[in-house]
Amino acid sequence: MDVVTQTRATKQQRKSLGQRLYKFYNSQTFVAILFLIVPVGLLIILKIYPIFYNLYLSFTRYELFEPPKYVGLKNYRYVFENSVTRQSIWNTLLFTIEAVPLGAALALIVAKLLDENFYGKIMYRTLYYLPVISSIVVSAMIFRWIFNPQQGLLNYFIGLIGIPPQTWLSDPNLALPSLVMVTIWGSIGGNMIIFLAGLQDIPGEVLEAAKVDGANALQRFTHITIPLLRPVILFVVVTFTISTFRNFGLIFMLTQGGPLNRTNTLVWEVYMSVFGNLRLGRGAALSMVMLVMVFILTLLSFRVLRERQG
Amino acid sequence: MAVQMSKENRLVRHLPKILTYLVLSIGAFVMVLPFIWMVLTSLKIDSEIFGDSLKWLPGQLDFKNYRDAFVQTNMARLFANTIFVTVISVASQVILGAMAGYAFARLQFKGKNILFFSLLATMMVPFEVLIIPVFLFVRGFPLAGGNDVFGHGGTGLFNTYAGLIFPNLISVFSIFLFRQFYLRFPHEIEEAAIVDGCSRAGVFWRILLPNSKPVIATMALFAFLWSWNDFLWPLVVVKKDALKTLQLGLSLFNQEQGTQWAELMAASTIAVVPVIILYLTLQGFLTKGAVTSGID
Repeated sequence: MDVVTQTRATKQQRKSLGQRLYKFYNSQTFVAILFLIVPVGLLIILKIYPIFYNLYLSFTRYELFEPPKYVGLKNYRYVFENSVTRQSIWNTLLFTIEAVPLGAALALIVAKLLDENFYGKIMYRTLYYLPVISSIVVSAMIFRWIFNPQQGLLNYFIGLIGIPPQTWLSDPNLALPSLVMVTIWGSIGGNMIIFLAGLQDIPGEVLEAAKVDGANALQRFTHITIPLLRPVILFVVVTFTISTFRNFGLIFMLTQGGPLNRTNTLVWEVYMSVFGNLRLGRGAALSMVMLVMVFILTLLSFRVLRERQG
Repeated sequence: MAVQMSKENRLVRHLPKILTYLVLSIGAFVMVLPFIWMVLTSLKIDSEIFGDSLKWLPGQLDFKNYRDAFVQTNMARLFANTIFVTVISVASQVILGAMAGYAFARLQFKGKNILFFSLLATMMVPFEVLIIPVFLFVRGFPLAGGNDVFGHGGTGLFNTYAGLIFPNLISVFSIFLFRQFYLRFPHEIEEAAIVDGCSRAGVFWRILLPNSKPVIATMALFAFLWSWNDFLWPLVVVKKDALKTLQLGLSLFNQEQGTQWAELMAASTIAVVPVIILYLTLQGFLTKGAVTSGID
């Protein structure tokens, strides 16, 4: 009798210990820790700690085989005083100015045309999206062949309308515009998808009402669609700009920063400082300049959005 | 007369549609022409490529360039490496993204919002900006590649599969995507399961994850494209031939071959066709997924 009650008691105790353990195991905080520890840990290693370590490195002289040595603002002075690095900042901006407005406008036009219901819509959307799924390396190889001065397809086409053949990638004035061409070709599909999603959110009644009031298609587009689409346009412009800042593959494959440094952008300069000349401190300073540019752009766009909504 | 009128009317009525088709077709042609030109060139022989006038079609159907490109680039190895790296990256990004997305969408805990938004803010930071510290971290990984506990002395994960995969294990975008999906997921099912004695972890593995197919498909496609097409990181972290990925191998082939256009285009075709096929097969599923995920 005694033994039985005793075992029952310990059993109950054990059970309640198990229950308490289970309760702890099943608490929201514990499950959250369990589920977040790996993803958050990885992101701290890959995204958050590197920002601060990069900032530290940008104040040092570091050539990989000796420990970093503090040099103050020397790297930043170099970045803003050296003519090549200054040109790389300017080239980055130029690249963006040439590619983003035109590329975004073309993507918007294609999206608008594809927004109607018609036969073959999905096929067109797929065809426009093909350049996006092709890798930068493959796209660059195809375009290196298309830009070829002797047998290239582009010189063949401009020859048809009487323009003399160009050297494209080795012409200092045409090298950057050539890269811009490839970039726009590769970006239309992705931006088009974002615009299509935005266009679907525009209420049909508004456009219908304007139509009843006698607005033609172009007026409806410029006076209703574009203003209502402003947040989406802003999103595309910001993400597209950041992606042009990051455009490393094309430059590596097609021009290597040349001719005459005309396609030498910040991301190329970072790569060359670090993996070409083993100057990690200088590369870190250049990356910080890039990061600040991205940061300013993002803040500006948020401000524009808030003003619109406010 | 009346018939004539209606015919003209019909033409006027259909004119915008015809124009739309025309503009879209010209645009689509420009988008696709580089790929067509790639395939056509890959089938040509040198005399057709370097001839005086431009020849559109190859004179024969010969796959010699493909054989040459396949052998010269060691394509089988490049494919195997790329598939290995991509499969692990996709699986990791999807599973870790879903777990973190679930925690941020469905669990209450201290500091949730500040943690989520600080992670979200890093989405704006391009990987290229952080390449130096990430490279140094991988190279200084403790107890790997001859390194001591403090990460000195050797090369860490430099020139290893682990180093190649490491930065692709996680994406903030994936966390964001799954969080958005789980925020809209009906609470009743989850509550019913908890009443029936299912644990919170069990709710995630047995109910939420199996019902996330549209997001999983979307995220898997993105992660696949990022990993498969990744170039800068493999270029920086891998020097051994045996570890090279498809994009890295192609870029080196591009430098070595110079003007062997037929072989270069054959190699490009081999590299891009699997991606296009995968996209086309997944696309049907993705549109279906988008439709069904809109219902809840």
